[in-house]
Amino acid sequence: MPALCIWIALLCAGPCLAARGQDRILYDDLGHPFPLAGPPQRIVSLAPDITETLFALNLGPKIVGVTRYCDYPPQAAKIEKVGGLVDPNLEKIQVLHPDLVVAFRGNPIGIVNKLRSLHLPVFVFDSGTSLAGVLEIVGKMGRLTFQTGTAESLCRDLEDRRRQVELALENVANTPRTFLSIPGQGLWTCGSEGYLNNLIVQAKGINIAGGIRRRWLNLTREQLVHDNPEVIIVMAKDFEAFRSSRDRLLADSRLKTVEAVRTRNIRFLDENIASRFGPRLFQALVDVARILHPERFPGKP
Amino acid sequence: MKTQMKRPVLLLTLLALLALALGMSLLMGPAPTSGRDLWNFLFHGDKSYATIFLDLRLCRAILAFLVGACLSLSGAILQGYFQNPLADPFVVGVSSGASFGAVLCLALGFQSVVFGVPVQSLFAFATGFALVIAVYLLSRRKSVFKVETLLLTGISAGALASSLTSFLLFLRSDSFEQAVFWLLGSVQLADWRQVVTVAPQFLVCLFIAQWLAKDMNLLVLGDEAARSLGSPIESVRKVCLAVATLLAAVSVSVAGVIGFVGLVVPHGVRILVGPDHRYLFGLSSLAGGVFLVACDLLARTLLSPTELPIGIITAALGAPIFIYLLHKRT
Repeated sequence: MPALCIWIALLCAGPCLAARGQDRILYDDLGHPFPLAGPPQRIVSLAPDITETLFALNLGPKIVGVTRYCDYPPQAAKIEKVGGLVDPNLEKIQVLHPDLVVAFRGNPIGIVNKLRSLHLPVFVFDSGTSLAGVLEIVGKMGRLTFQTGTAESLCRDLEDRRRQVELALENVANTPRTFLSIPGQGLWTCGSEGYLNNLIVQAKGINIAGGIRRRWLNLTREQLVHDNPEVIIVMAKDFEAFRSSRDRLLADSRLKTVEAVRTRNIRFLDENIASRFGPRLFQALVDVARILHPERFPGKP
Repeated sequence: MKTQMKRPVLLLTLLALLALALGMSLLMGPAPTSGRDLWNFLFHGDKSYATIFLDLRLCRAILAFLVGACLSLSGAILQGYFQNPLADPFVVGVSSGASFGAVLCLALGFQSVVFGVPVQSLFAFATGFALVIAVYLLSRRKSVFKVETLLLTGISAGALASSLTSFLLFLRSDSFEQAVFWLLGSVQLADWRQVVTVAPQFLVCLFIAQWLAKDMNLLVLGDEAARSLGSPIESVRKVCLAVATLLAAVSVSVAGVIGFVGLVVPHGVRILVGPDHRYLFGLSSLAGGVFLVACDLLARTLLSPTELPIGIITAALGAPIFIYLLHKRT
C-alpha cells in the first residue's frame, strides 16, 4: 500500500515537474531551445522592430545595444550601436556582455549562428503575416524577459484598439481598392504574405496586390492601371517625402486613368510606424482605417 | 637590385608586414583593448578578452590570410597557365558558379549547417567546381584543345551563371540584402572550423604548385617546346587547372567573392621578383595573405562599428599600388 501511494504521488508529480521544466525552456522561431535563466539584465536588440517591442514592455533601461536603424522610441537613439541589420558587429556585441541577444528575420543566419558559436544567448523572432503575429511576438517576448504581466496587459490594450477599429468599421458599405506604395525604386507594394496586407484587410480595404502570394513585390504601371485603385496610400518617412512621391504619381501621364490619381485620392502613411513589426502597427491600423473610411472616424486624428 | 637579392628582401619585408598586420588586427577593433590587455592575456592568462582576441580577431585574421593566399596562389597558377597577365581565379567561371550556388541556396531557403559547415558554402563550392569541370569538358570536345577556347568558354559560362544569379535575386527580393552582402565578400563570420577546413587544402595546393613550378616555367616556351623537353604538359595543365579551381572555390565558399587579389598580387610579385614560378608561388601566397589581412583590418576599422565589404578595400588599396608598380617598371 505505501508503495502504491508513492507510485500515485510520482505519477501526479511527474507531469507537474515536466511542465515546470518546459517552462524554463522557450523555443525561438528557428526552433532553437532557449533556457530561461532569469530576467535578462543586458539585452542587445538586432532590429528596430525588436527594440520597439522591448521598450513597450518597459525593458528600455535593460537594453545595452541596438542597431543604427533603431530610432523609436527616441531614447533608443542614445543606446550604444552595434551596427546594422545585416551587418551587426560581432565584437561590439561580445564586449557588451549581453545575457540576451534578440535577433529578427532579416538578420543573416550566418551572424546568428556565429553568435551562437560564441556562446552568446541568442533568441530569434520571425516576423508574422498579420496583426495577430505582433501579439504573438509580444507574448513570447514577455515570457522570454519575465515580463508576462506587462506583455499580457499590452496585448489586451492592442487587442482593444483593434476591436475599436473593428466596431467603428462595422457594416461599412464599400471596401475601396487600395494600392499601398512602399518606398523603393518603382511601384513596390505588399502581397498576401506581407503583414501590411492584413492591415488593409482589417481596415476594410482591398489590397490590389493581395492576390499575389509574395511578401513584397514590384508592380508594373500596367497592373496599376488595370487594377485601378480608388485610394493610393504612400508610405513615406515624412510629409516632404510623401509630397514628392505624390507629385510624381500625379504628374505621370501614364497613370492619368487611375481613379485615385484622377480624384487625387493619394494619402500619407508614416513609414516609421507602419514598417516595423511591433506594437505601433496597431496605430498604423487606425491610420489606414481613417484613410479608407474617414466618415467612421470623426474628429481630428 | 638583382633579382636574386630581391627575393629574400621581399620575403623578409612580407614577413615583417605580416607580423605588423597580425599585431594590429589583434589590437584594433570596436572593443577598446590596449596592448596591456593583450599582454595580460598572453602571459598572465587573463581570460576576460579571450573570446575577442582568439575567436573574433585572430581567427578572422588567419582566415583572411588563408583566403588571400588561396586567391593569390590561384591567380599565380592561372596567369602561368594561360600565359596571360589578365587571368585571375574568376576568369574560368569559379566565382560566378560559386555565387550562383550560394544565392540558389538562399533562394531555396536552405540555412542548415552540416558537419559545422554551412550548406551555403557547400553549395558554393560544388557549383563553382562543377562549372569549371563543365567548361573544361566543353572546351576539350574540340579535336584540338586550345587555351583560348577554355578562356572564352569560361567567360561565357561565367556570364550565364551570373545572369542566373541575378534572376534568382530578382525573384527573391526578400533575401536580396543578405545575398548582396555575401556577393561583396567578407570574412566577418570567420570560424575556427573554416580555418581548419581551408588551411590543409591550401597547403596541399601550395605543395602541388611548388612541385609543378619547373614545368610551369617551361610553358612560357609554348606547349610544343615544353613537350619536346620532356615535360608531361597535358597532365601539368590538368592538375594546374584543378588546383587553381579548388583554391578559388574554397576561398569563395568561406568568404564570398573578393575581387582583385588574385589578379593584382601575383602580378605585382612577378614585377618585383621575375617570372620564375618556383619563387612566384610561395611569395604570391604570402603577399596575398598579408594584403588581405591588411584590407580586412581597414574594412572593419575605418567606419567602425559598421563594416565595409572587403572588396571595396582590396580594389581601393590594390589598384594604386598596382598602377605604381606597372609604371615603375616601364
